[in-house]
Amino acid sequence: MSANTHTKPYATAARRANARKLAIMAVLVLAAAAAYLLVEVNPRYFSYAMSLRVPKLIVMLIAAFAIGGASIVFQSVINNIIVTPCLLGMNSLYTLIHTAVVFVAGSGSILAINANVSFAVDLVLMGIAATLIYGYLFRKTNHNVLYVLLIGTVLTSFFGSIQSTLTRVMDPNEYDSLLSTLVASFSNVNSEIILFSLVVLAILIFVLRRDLALLDVLTLGKAQAINLGVDYDRSIRRLLLGVTLAIAVATAMVGPISFMGLIIANLSRQLLKTYRHSQLILGSVFFGMIILVAGQLIVEHVYTYAIPISVFITVGGGIYFLYLLLTRRRI
Amino acid sequence: MLIDKRRSRAQKEESTIKRYLTTILLSLFLLILSVWSLFIGVIDLELSTLLNGNLEQLKIFLVSRLPRLLAILCTGVGMSVAGLIMQQLCRNKFVSPTTGATISSAQFGILLALLFMPNSTLWGRALFAFAAAILGTWIFVWFIQRIRFKDVIMVPLVGIMFGNVIGGITNYLAYQYEMTQALSTWLVGHFSLVVRGRFELVYLIVPLVILAFLFANHFNIVGMGKDFSKNLGVPYNLVLFAGLSIAAMITASVVVIVGSISYIGLIVPNLVAMFKGDRIRGTLVDTALFGAIFVLACDMLARVVIAPYELPIELIVGILGSILFVGLLLYRLRRGNKAIRLGSAHSGGCAAAVSQVEGGDGA
Amino acid sequence: MKVQQLTKQYDGKAVVDGVTFEIPKGKVLSLIGPNGAGKSTVMGMISRLIARDAGLVDFDGRDIAKWKSKELSKRLAILTQSNQIQMKLTVRELVAFGRFPYSAGRNTPEDETIIDQAISYMELEPFQDRFIDELSGGQRQRAMIAMVIAQDTEYILLDEPTNNLDIYHATNMMKIVRRLCDELGKTVILVLHEINYAAFYSDYICAFRDGKIAKFGTVKEVMTREVLSQIYQVDFEIMEIEGKPLSIYY
Repeated sequence: MSANTHTKPYATAARRANARKLAIMAVLVLAAAAAYLLVEVNPRYFSYAMSLRVPKLIVMLIAAFAIGGASIVFQSVINNIIVTPCLLGMNSLYTLIHTAVVFVAGSGSILAINANVSFAVDLVLMGIAATLIYGYLFRKTNHNVLYVLLIGTVLTSFFGSIQSTLTRVMDPNEYDSLLSTLVASFSNVNSEIILFSLVVLAILIFVLRRDLALLDVLTLGKAQAINLGVDYDRSIRRLLLGVTLAIAVATAMVGPISFMGLIIANLSRQLLKTYRHSQLILGSVFFGMIILVAGQLIVEHVYTYAIPISVFITVGGGIYFLYLLLTRRRI
Repeated sequence: MLIDKRRSRAQKEESTIKRYLTTILLSLFLLILSVWSLFIGVIDLELSTLLNGNLEQLKIFLVSRLPRLLAILCTGVGMSVAGLIMQQLCRNKFVSPTTGATISSAQFGILLALLFMPNSTLWGRALFAFAAAILGTWIFVWFIQRIRFKDVIMVPLVGIMFGNVIGGITNYLAYQYEMTQALSTWLVGHFSLVVRGRFELVYLIVPLVILAFLFANHFNIVGMGKDFSKNLGVPYNLVLFAGLSIAAMITASVVVIVGSISYIGLIVPNLVAMFKGDRIRGTLVDTALFGAIFVLACDMLARVVIAPYELPIELIVGILGSILFVGLLLYRLRRGNKAIRLGSAHSGGCAAAVSQVEGGDGA
Repeated sequence: MKVQQLTKQYDGKAVVDGVTFEIPKGKVLSLIGPNGAGKSTVMGMISRLIARDAGLVDFDGRDIAKWKSKELSKRLAILTQSNQIQMKLTVRELVAFGRFPYSAGRNTPEDETIIDQAISYMELEPFQDRFIDELSGGQRQRAMIAMVIAQDTEYILLDEPTNNLDIYHATNMMKIVRRLCDELGKTVILVLHEINYAAFYSDYICAFRDGKIAKFGTVKEVMTREVLSQIYQVDFEIMEIEGKPLSIYY
């Protein structure tokens, strides 16, 4: 059949080209990681430098993985590429939950002192709260993405205000120092929960492996997915819960970085131009790792820590978002 | 005929009372609230000792409580009037100093003032904030007028993101020149520093609000659309930009003196319009009064919650405001798309309101 | 396939009210009626996309709700109006999704053969490596049909397949529908707005009005002045072309 000879090479060629792109990106990730570890390291204090840099590098890689994967999955599930979970305020919600737990339990309790225990409690609460809030929003707005997005941006400031209020109520005098212990940031990464986070992410991938395999079909839309015999609602519910927890992991480790997911997910989609989620997710994760690690490298050595990387991501991401919003024919 | 006329006159009188009823009630309520607020604080004031000429108490009253009240009233009136003007001119219910990048532009201006003139006075900073706020708002409106949006909701979304970008640049400069500490004063609005002698806000806002009242009719006409205002001989672009400038200057004044206070310009005009309709002339006074009440109530709450400390008012307004805003959005969504569009159905203006809420036609 | 006493309510208002009919196997059945008459909702309930409030959809002796979704997807395919796909998907990749119920994403050589056949049946070879969002409306619709063909089901449900197509593409679409039935032996059920397409290309017509069946029968039985003017509330004239009744309304 003529069709066969014509198409097979094309399909495989496109896939091979993408595989090549992904391989180059993987090399770049490794290069960035090596540079991050070794640039301007003083050989005399090598092991000391490594004890600082290695955990931070791992944290950044995990965060990039969680955000990159969650953003692609979320976009495909709600069938819209200008929205990411962080734009809807999920990371502010996590920060709020963590603060609220410490607020209720007291700053001397085990929930405040043991990072792993508090992380576990936060995860459970996050899963419940996010499902309730965002489930309600999507239902109430009839899945109108623009409304959800606008409400999400408002919720971001809402959660932020409550979080800030709680912190001030807890300790009106030491507001700033309390804030920095409650909310992780790139200058203050939460490396105590590395192991726990890895376990959480591994469990998520294992439990959701069937649903993740369905992603390609889910992006055809609800009617088509059902037509092809997929239990649509169940898969969507499970995947969204997974997204929520992945965002919780990332936020717990490096704090909120709102536009990160938007940038890396769309860069991956533009670069790979495919619907295959295995490739899209990998691309997004690699982009995230490159941006975070290389960005942090520049911040530490060029700006000597003067400017947090999140500032660059906010400006770049905001402009990119406006560009996407204004150039797309369909939202 | 005669009976008809008489009846209509009676109706007119009745409706006159009705029309001013809300205004009167709001004024009374604001008055009571204002007096009450004067007696909330760390140190208990009592009316009797105050009248007896207790100098200590009189001093607190004059140095702290009264200036603060005035600042609050001016903020409430100013921000809500600015929001109303912007909504009217852009013909979009979701435009406001918060969602139109005005506040973040003003903050950017203040930072520039701090950078270029480290010893600048308040007036110098105000000047920079004015210029930046006006420019930022103009750019935003120019921008959204050039784009035909598929949905009214796009306008605030673009505005918020635009504000985010400006805020990010502000942050960048602040970090670069180690000004974050200095800038934080203007990022989170609070009244705790407003004491005697700081009546600048009053000087700034009262004239601007009077100006807004004088031109209310013009704004109304421009809000009806370009062709409509041309037909009536009103210079569209001039009034549009004058109106936006007034709104931006009011906002910048508030940002310079008490810091950023979001949502008032968005929430208050919308709440008032839900009860009174969309004509600016009729609602301007009520909006101003309600805005003052809203900010005053929030401030009283902020002072009481963790007394003897106080919360920045921006937090209280942020919490209440965002709840109200989400409620408003969902309310308007449920009422259908017509409710989201502005009353007039002319085309053009800031946004072409073709909403795309999905809904099966059932056939 | 039988439908019994099917009912659907939105906000307490019955959109579909006690609809009962039987779908003739191996024929083309068109559902027609004014806007809001409930024809798309009936289609949605038959295809399990819309939950019903009451009634029964009997498919091969078993209620459709009791079927495993996956099994059903090998017997019955539905194409809805909203087919906006945001993903970067080529025509061939889209058609390949039709094999998903059988292969769960890992297509065997037999699957590939079926995909090739579906593509060539719809004469899509020249476009098969183009992205869906680069195609015209007519081509996109043909690609969707090709996917349904690859799904290889006995029943094919099409919700307004001629929507947004110009006369050339719409007429071609109807010819395809006819071929699906005549050449491939499919049972095709479609929702149509254009009465004359229904009259010319289908075997049976089910006409709806206000959520109820106004008339079910062969084309000749439904396409009469009395029936149509009662359904659409305008005057009709019936004429005959190529032995088929066509209507003129004014």
